[in-house]
Amino acid sequence: MNTRGTTETIHDQIVALLPRLRRFARNLTRSPSDADDVVQIAVERALVKLEQWRSDARLDSWMFKIVRNAWIDEVRSRGRRDKIFLAEEAGENVGESSIDRETDLMSVQSAMARLPEDQRVAVSLVLVEGLPYKEAADVLDIPIGTLTSRLARAREALQAMLEPEGKRR
Amino acid sequence: MTISDETLMAFADEELDAATRAAVEAAMRADPEIERRVAQHRAMRARLQSAYAPELDEALPERLLATARGARPASSVRPMRKPAARLRWQPLLSMAASLVIGVGLGYVVQRHSSSVLTKGSDGRLVASGALAKALSNQLGSERIPSAPVHIGLSFMAKSGDYCRTFMMTGAASPAGVACRRADDWQIRVLAQPSDDVPGDESAAAYRTAGSTLSPVILDTVQQQIAGEPLDQNGEIAARQQGWQSSHR
Repeated sequence: MNTRGTTETIHDQIVALLPRLRRFARNLTRSPSDADDVVQIAVERALVKLEQWRSDARLDSWMFKIVRNAWIDEVRSRGRRDKIFLAEEAGENVGESSIDRETDLMSVQSAMARLPEDQRVAVSLVLVEGLPYKEAADVLDIPIGTLTSRLARAREALQAMLEPEGKRR
Repeated sequence: MTISDETLMAFADEELDAATRAAVEAAMRADPEIERRVAQHRAMRARLQSAYAPELDEALPERLLATARGARPASSVRPMRKPAARLRWQPLLSMAASLVIGVGLGYVVQRHSSSVLTKGSDGRLVASGALAKALSNQLGSERIPSAPVHIGLSFMAKSGDYCRTFMMTGAASPAGVACRRADDWQIRVLAQPSDDVPGDESAAAYRTAGSTLSPVILDTVQQQIAGEPLDQNGEIAARQQGWQSSHR
């Protein structure tokens, strides 16, 4: 059990993590408003079970995992809400239409949005959030070999989308 | 020597042990193509990081900050997930609407609640007395210390019924979820604080959180809810209709 002082420090640490949690959740959900919902749920859950966090473990990895679980639970339990909200939020999504001819940054995000979820999440954790492979594999509950092969496939796909000419010799 | 692309990727990500790293470095010196592929992996990493860096500077929504700081969430913001489910509860019953009422429930009904829970004509458990009255009239935002029942969340269930979470006040009093069907409040789930569980000494430490929702109730809400919980205006509107859903 954490002491009071430790708990307060952890509140500060979680506040400091919010921008990254949010960024990760956006890559996960591909919807800014879903992402904020998921982060909120995840932070609430994390605070409830803070005592399960081992202080020798990375707080960011632990929180990323809770974010991902919150998203999975939400998808399963949302049901009707999904259908109602997807239409409204279509404009906000980093979708397929608003891309191309845009800036370089836009095309990175749109290329990411086209990856299958498991690849997108692997890229997001390792390349965007900077987690070591081992940490990312733990977040996703997969063996490290699975993580690296997803990562390799994702990079290949991104390369092909972002720099199709890069393949030429 | 041939080096797989995954190894080159791991090299670019600085994930290799010293020996493999040295082998890749030697291969890069010997083969410009390998060097080019490593550079490509590094460039991709840098490109992703710079593409996503600006998101870290965006202003954060106040509700996220408040939650992270440990403030109680505003009642309009997903109260069903408030981080206060520490009270240990023993689920006595988690029944689908049509399940037969079991022995354990009869025990609870007799022991604590015979005046507020009765069997309906079809054998299902329904609220009566003060509980039925509170479910029909009390708003979730009302916290009357002397009231025998506290109402938590109100929501529209996927079945199209209005449902509300409740908690009887007093020690070891049950809490649950009730849904409006015709003129009855049917009990969907009933749970009891774990004060009575022998050997669970940790329970006492959590007993202070008087008005929280138990995990079993939270789970029920999350499984059954359609959309968001009702806010106060939604509750008032539903009450005016006698909790009869217009969606059915």
